[in-house]
Order: sequence, then C-alpha cells, then structure tokens
Amino acid sequence: MTSGETPAGVGTTSGGTARKARPLPFDTSVANQARIYDYLLGGKDNYAADRAAAEAALKLVPDGAFTARANRAFLGRAVRYLAGEAGMRQFLDIGTGIPTAGNTHQVAQAIAPETRVVYVDYDPVVLAHARALLTSHEAGATDYIDADLRDTETVLSQAARLLDFTRPVAVTLLAIMHAIPDDDDPYGIVATLMDAVPSGSYLALSHLASDALDEKTQQSLEELTDRMVQDRMVQQQFTYRTREQVARFFAGMDLVEPGLVRVEEWRPDPGTPAGGTSLLWCAVGRKP
Amino acid sequence: MNTVMPGGGQPIPGLEDQPVNATVLRMLLGSQLRRLREAAGITPEQAGSHIRASRSKISRLETGRVGFKLRDVADLLTLYGMTDEQSRSGFLSLARQSSAPDWWAKYGDVLPDWFETYLGLESAASVIRSFEIQFVHGLFQTEDYARAVTKLGRRSALTGEIEHRVALRLRRQELLARPNPPRIWSVMDEAVLRRPVGGPAVMRAQLQQLIKAAELPHVTLQVVPFARGGHAAASGSFTVLRFEEHDLPDVVYAEQLTSAIYLEQRSDVEHYLEVMDQLSGEALTPAATVRFIGQVARET
Repeated sequence: MTSGETPAGVGTTSGGTARKARPLPFDTSVANQARIYDYLLGGKDNYAADRAAAEAALKLVPDGAFTARANRAFLGRAVRYLAGEAGMRQFLDIGTGIPTAGNTHQVAQAIAPETRVVYVDYDPVVLAHARALLTSHEAGATDYIDADLRDTETVLSQAARLLDFTRPVAVTLLAIMHAIPDDDDPYGIVATLMDAVPSGSYLALSHLASDALDEKTQQSLEELTDRMVQDRMVQQQFTYRTREQVARFFAGMDLVEPGLVRVEEWRPDPGTPAGGTSLLWCAVGRKP
Repeated sequence: MNTVMPGGGQPIPGLEDQPVNATVLRMLLGSQLRRLREAAGITPEQAGSHIRASRSKISRLETGRVGFKLRDVADLLTLYGMTDEQSRSGFLSLARQSSAPDWWAKYGDVLPDWFETYLGLESAASVIRSFEIQFVHGLFQTEDYARAVTKLGRRSALTGEIEHRVALRLRRQELLARPNPPRIWSVMDEAVLRRPVGGPAVMRAQLQQLIKAAELPHVTLQVVPFARGGHAAASGSFTVLRFEEHDLPDVVYAEQLTSAIYLEQRSDVEHYLEVMDQLSGEALTPAATVRFIGQVARET
C-alpha cells in the first residue's frame, strides 16, 4: 500500500456537478444488480428477491443468463488484453460485483504479478465478499473502496492510496453505467475518471443496450424493470442506451479493434461456440 | 472414479479430478433418489414403508446424512420404476463407494452422531464460512488450546478420553493442507481473542497460530471488534457450508450443548447467509485483522 496522495486533476475536473451519491442499504428483501448478476452466473450469494427479479427478466429475455456469462468472459479477455498487449500494471475496477472465478486481479496478476488493482463498489454484500476475498498474496496489491461511483472525488482520492495516477491506469466499468440515469451525468462521470489518468491509459466498458432486442421485447423489458423499481422490487433503475449513446462514453479516445461490438464479439477466444446473443455493447479505448 | 452416473448418464463436473468424498457421494446419490421418487409420484412415507423404514429415514437418506444399504437402494430403484440395468448398476456402484468408512470411524467412542455428520460435511465442503463468538474455530486451534477447551465441559473425564478428543480435532486440521483445500472464511468476535483459554501462555501461542493461518491463501480471518457495538448474530456461533456441486444446497450448522442443528431449506439458509454477510461487512478487513490479533497477543 502506498500513502494517500491526491491524484493529478482531482478536485478540478468535477465540473461543479453535484452528483447524487447514495449508499445502498443492506436490504436482501429487495433485488439488486450485483446479486441478480451473481444468480445469472450460477452463484449462490443471492437472495429470494434477486432470483424472483432475475427469473421475471429471463422470461422475457432468455439470453439474460448468457449475457451475464458473456460479460464475465469479456472481463477476462479485456483484462488479459490490457495486462498483456497493452502492458497495463494498474487497474481501477468500478462496479466489482460479488467475487467469482477469474476476478480482475487474478487475471491481471497471472500475467504480471506486480499489477495493482483497486476495486470500487457500493453494494454492502459486495463489500463483505470483496474486502474478504479480493486480496493478493503475491507481489501485486489490491484495495477495495466502498463508494458510489457518482462520487468520483472519493473514488479517485481513495484509489490514489494504491494507484500512481502519473502512470497509465486501466479503468474498467463493466455492466455498471446503465445503473446511472441521465440525470446523474453518466458522461461527466466517465470524463472525470478519464481526465484523472494520463495519456496511454485505457477504458473498458460494457453497457446494457436499448437497441439489441426487437422493439416489442425491448419495450416489455423496460416496462418490467420500471415496474419493479416502482414496486420497490429492485434497488436500481436501469437506463438502456443505444450503440451510439454507448460510443459517446469513448469520446476523444481511440477504440481498440474490433471497436464497439457486443461483448461476445470482442476478440473471442478461438473455438468459442456461439452461445447466444447478449444485450451488452462493449469497447476498449485508449486515451491518446 | 466411476464416471458412469445414474440418471442422466452424465459424469458430475468437478468430481473426476478429485479424491472421492463419501459424504458428497451420499448427498449426490440421495438427491438423485429424491428426484426419481418425486418423478414417480411416490411420497416419502410410501418409500419408507417399502424398505421398512420411517419417513425421516428416507429424508436422511435423501440428504446424504446416513449411509445406504445396497438392498435398500435396489428396492427403492425398483419402486421408482428404474429398471434399466446399466443405470441401476451405476446407482449401486455409487452406493457402494459412498459407504466406504471415513477416517473418523476410529474416533467413534468420542464422536456423537450429530458431530460425525458435521465432519462429513466439513470434509466435503468447498467453502466454509463460520462465525465464532466464544472459541477459536476448531480448524485453527493449537493442541494446548484444544486440550483446554476439551477439558472445560468434562471435568471428570479420564485423560485418555480427553486426549482422544484432542487427537480428533488435530486430525480434522489436515483438511487445511490437503490438495485443493476448501476456502475457509472465519469471522470471530473479539471475545474469542480476549478469553485466555488455557491461560495467557497458551492463548498467546494460539493467537500466533491464527496469524500464521491467515497467511494461507485459502484462509480469510476477520474480527468484529467490541468497538463496533452489537452485531447481527444475536444467537451465537454458526457455520455455513457450501459445496462445489451446484445442485447441493448450502448447509447451516449450529452446535448446541448436546446436539446440533442442520438447516438446508434455502429460506432458512438465507437468513444465516444474510447475517454472515452483514457480519463480514462490519468486521475488520483481513489485513487489519492480522494487525489486531498481533495487538491482542501483545496485551495477553
């Protein structure tokens, strides 16, 4: 662990936007994204409300479970690319989720043991698992920050305990930005994060698509999630975005081949059988 | 290992490359028998009476808590309409393997049935999460600490019996060093560290042992300090066991003076998991825990 210095740019790039950071209460009677995702991945760290919400969504979108697995597989390939070909030795993984096999630090440290990884999440169940399990025993280091990503100042200042913001950082925002509604300035959040890292840094992002399904199914899905939020069945609202809207997160960056695609299409491992069609756009971009 | 599995004829993922654990085999065989029974529309009472046993015997068989008699398995398969010879022989072979004696058989004189079940589950688990309010978890106890704990409730016990119990506890710890060990995630109340079981010298050595255990990559220790105030586990110590095989349910184990409870209904288990998640969130991080134990050791 390094001592906490303020990273370059923090405090000057927030643009004066007062973003609403909300700690998520520990409430297992209401479904939430991290635990639904755990359920879709076949995990057991989820509760009855999470399974009910997931099953309701799966009825409309049978590829939901494939989407979760495909996103997890994208994480593995993207981190392998970033730690390998791109030579990244520092990762800021925001929206960590409940630890499962092949977490970011394990993938990256398998390639470069000295890699440092800072995890950020605001879910209390993720907190419990991540602080206990996402620890390094090797040359590298990991840290966990309990913060809402809307509070970029806290995220960046605490990440600086472990990361050197004068050197390139790979920022990963996987299946998380759709939990940020337009009112909370999602593009400003990503811009603030990428302003805080130097040239040569990377952004990997995946995002729920609003234009991946046929119109009718998409509409039913959005109605379902709206209804679940209204009925207080889930803790987070989802904002589905188009391919163009997702591309805007990479404004000013150079996209790595193959550009902005579905998660299962991003540099698939040779011989991977087609398992479905995911609902997530993704890309990896380099800050010039 | 025999990978010809009854039922679907599919090998069970993850079992091929691991030493076969009799408890897991019993649980798997039990859950498949339950599925067959339910598919045939037969009640536990009917199944029980067919093999001259009670409803609860069927329940214990189907949850893998007790060993199978080959004849009972064969009779049940017939009752459930399983006539395919190859599938039947797969089931019977599984039943044969699952009745191999466990290592703890020779400790039978000091081993109540309710704890024998726990040993089977513990040795079969892939994740062991525990919350301890009183004593250091058995898997991390030093010999002297284990002896002191064992003597506590048995002032009149003979030395031989005490030593046999201590030997059993130490034998359990071989789990920590086996290939492919379970992940052990133990949260303990500060009281566990402060209560000088066996006296200050024994306790100091025990605290050092805990610090050493925390270095193992598959071990996570967390302390809930007194300073945190009250905690979510109003009742007492408990353990949640999870198994590699996805179909097997998590099991909650809570020990009482002369017995123990085992819960595997998902709704019951979830209540304990929730408390465990809350406790883990309230507890110190693993790194801070090691520093905290070191501090307590200096004060002991």
